[in-house]
Amino acid sequence: MGQFVQFAINGLMSGAIYALIAVGIVSVFKATKVVNFAHGYLIMFGAYFYYTFAVIIPGQEWAPAWLASWEPAWLMESREGLPMFSPMGAVLDWAQNLPRILFGIAGALVANAIVGRIIERTLMRPLMGQSVFAMIMITVGLISIMSGAASIIWTADADFVPHIAPNAPIRFEMFGTTIFLFGADLVNMLIALFIFAGIVLMVRYTKSGVAIRATAEDQSTAYSMGISVPKVFSRAWVLASTTGAIAGAILATRNGISPSLGLFGFSVLAIVLMGGLDSYIGVFLAALAVGVMEAMTQWQLGGDWAEIVPYVAVLVVLLIRPHGLFGSKEVERI
Amino acid sequence: MINGNLKASYAADERVLNNSYKQLFVYGMMAVLACFATFANDYMILIACKMGILLIAVVGVNILTGYTGLISLGHAAFVAIGAYGVTILDNVLMGVVPEGLMFFVIVPLAVAITAIIGIFVGLPSLRVKGLYLAVATLAANFIVIFLIEQDLFAPWTGGMVGVNTPSPNLLGWVLDTNREMFILIAIIAFASLLAAQNLIRTRVGRAFIAIRDRDYSAEILGISLLRYKLTSFALSAAFCGLAGAMFAYFYARILPEQFELDLSLELVAALIVGGMGRTMGPVFGVILIVMMPEVIKVVFAYFTGGDASAARYTAPLQEIAFGLLLVFFLLKEPLGINQITDRILRAANRWPFARG
Repeated sequence: MGQFVQFAINGLMSGAIYALIAVGIVSVFKATKVVNFAHGYLIMFGAYFYYTFAVIIPGQEWAPAWLASWEPAWLMESREGLPMFSPMGAVLDWAQNLPRILFGIAGALVANAIVGRIIERTLMRPLMGQSVFAMIMITVGLISIMSGAASIIWTADADFVPHIAPNAPIRFEMFGTTIFLFGADLVNMLIALFIFAGIVLMVRYTKSGVAIRATAEDQSTAYSMGISVPKVFSRAWVLASTTGAIAGAILATRNGISPSLGLFGFSVLAIVLMGGLDSYIGVFLAALAVGVMEAMTQWQLGGDWAEIVPYVAVLVVLLIRPHGLFGSKEVERI
Repeated sequence: MINGNLKASYAADERVLNNSYKQLFVYGMMAVLACFATFANDYMILIACKMGILLIAVVGVNILTGYTGLISLGHAAFVAIGAYGVTILDNVLMGVVPEGLMFFVIVPLAVAITAIIGIFVGLPSLRVKGLYLAVATLAANFIVIFLIEQDLFAPWTGGMVGVNTPSPNLLGWVLDTNREMFILIAIIAFASLLAAQNLIRTRVGRAFIAIRDRDYSAEILGISLLRYKLTSFALSAAFCGLAGAMFAYFYARILPEQFELDLSLELVAALIVGGMGRTMGPVFGVILIVMMPEVIKVVFAYFTGGDASAARYTAPLQEIAFGLLLVFFLLKEPLGINQITDRILRAANRWPFARG
């Protein structure tokens, strides 16, 4: 039972990150009716930007010393005499890295927003009103462009980046076994949930959120009601790329950065279809469910079986409910 | 073509090559390929074999995506099943079937197995279409490759490290050079193209096109969606399985990673670039998609002077060019190269009059 709880918690934590990635795909779909197959590569760009601003730039000679490692006197003092691997030590390590973490996240957000805008302007805007097939295939072409560009700019080597939150181990007892967690994972989960909730509330209550929903409902009516549909499109893409940047930074701290980060996009795409393309709630539940199922598969069958869990799950769900668990059914007229 | 196209009987109208230009083109291409097999150098033969293998698979994708209108991003899985099917069957039936007949037994068997698996993968197409189907087939691709890589099946598939493949033996003639393989691949690719052209002429092909244009309308006209969508999946999987069989015979060793998503995307990209729902579309698309990386390699090596440190940029550049090619055609010429050649032929045919 204790092990079950341990794996369930691990699953929920990775499920929350899936939800954060999925929110980008759902937002773009809701506004523009385009399913972004290249979202995983947008996330990879976010991760690489975080790496650039948090590792490469602070490592340069011309960068100020406090950016690479912040060492005020009080910090160094309190570090003295601390045992290795103590929770306090982890927090202090994090405090030392804090400037470059913040710099990295800020840089990743801005750079990824620019990338998202460029994609929207150059590839999506000319295709407004064209067939869905063309739009999907454009994002497929984008996969190759982005992964090629990433390996030219950053080389294909894997590397590590600083954690976003103090990575102190947390232990507690439940059902007679010790549950073991990392602080950084817990904070990542909270960040993901917070952003997800923020976006759902934004779409529900703010003016631009209403504009997104109206555009999703009917583009031409939205146009005639004075909503600037192109603006809604670019806002949705910026939203997707900035949440993608944060998701990328989190994934980079968990697994290290490598070109294979782009493949996450496909399993998340499966999750999105499972939940229903236009339902935030459905996608959220599907993400958590797949996260837990993956963790359980990892526990029972071994690590490599976990990677096909989203795909098997989406096939089963599509056969039973073609529009996903909570998706709205499209009405087709002949 | 406007002139030279008189048909005096229904039989003439129903022929596969229904005008003299098409006949001339087909016989001419046969002669060109025969010359090519004799005179081309080894490098050109290698490239042509790659094109031939890809062409068979793209013809399969064309049946599904171009004619029936169902998007698939998982056809690499069928190529994998064909390739592994031939290899495994060859190992299993070794000694049971005489060696000279092996090719004629295991290739149809492998193709049949692929077609059956194609029907299973096609099952979601009865309930979902468009994007949902694209993701369902994508999922199927991941699952098939994952199963091939499993240790459980490693005694047959070789797992992650791949497996050595046999050379084909046609009634005692062992095709162990690339040039001999080219003859086989060229014949099969040519036959697949003609078979696809023939298919579209028949009742089944017309049903496919009706489904592509509007599936519910087709159903109202009495076309069974269940039957024809699954037939389409089975046929296109069969062509891909045949391509896989040639793939296994052509290369000395096959690895699971050769059949991942990249190959699926390449197949679809070749189809879009060439022209969907046209017989010659796959041909143009495959030529462009296979030539493009080679051209980039040569040009890049020329400009950098063969510098080894610059060589690491070749693969990413090829990748970017592939994506740009796909995006360019979707934005500027969605009907593919076939549309361009159509325009040129029409202008040539009407010369010196208006080019409309």
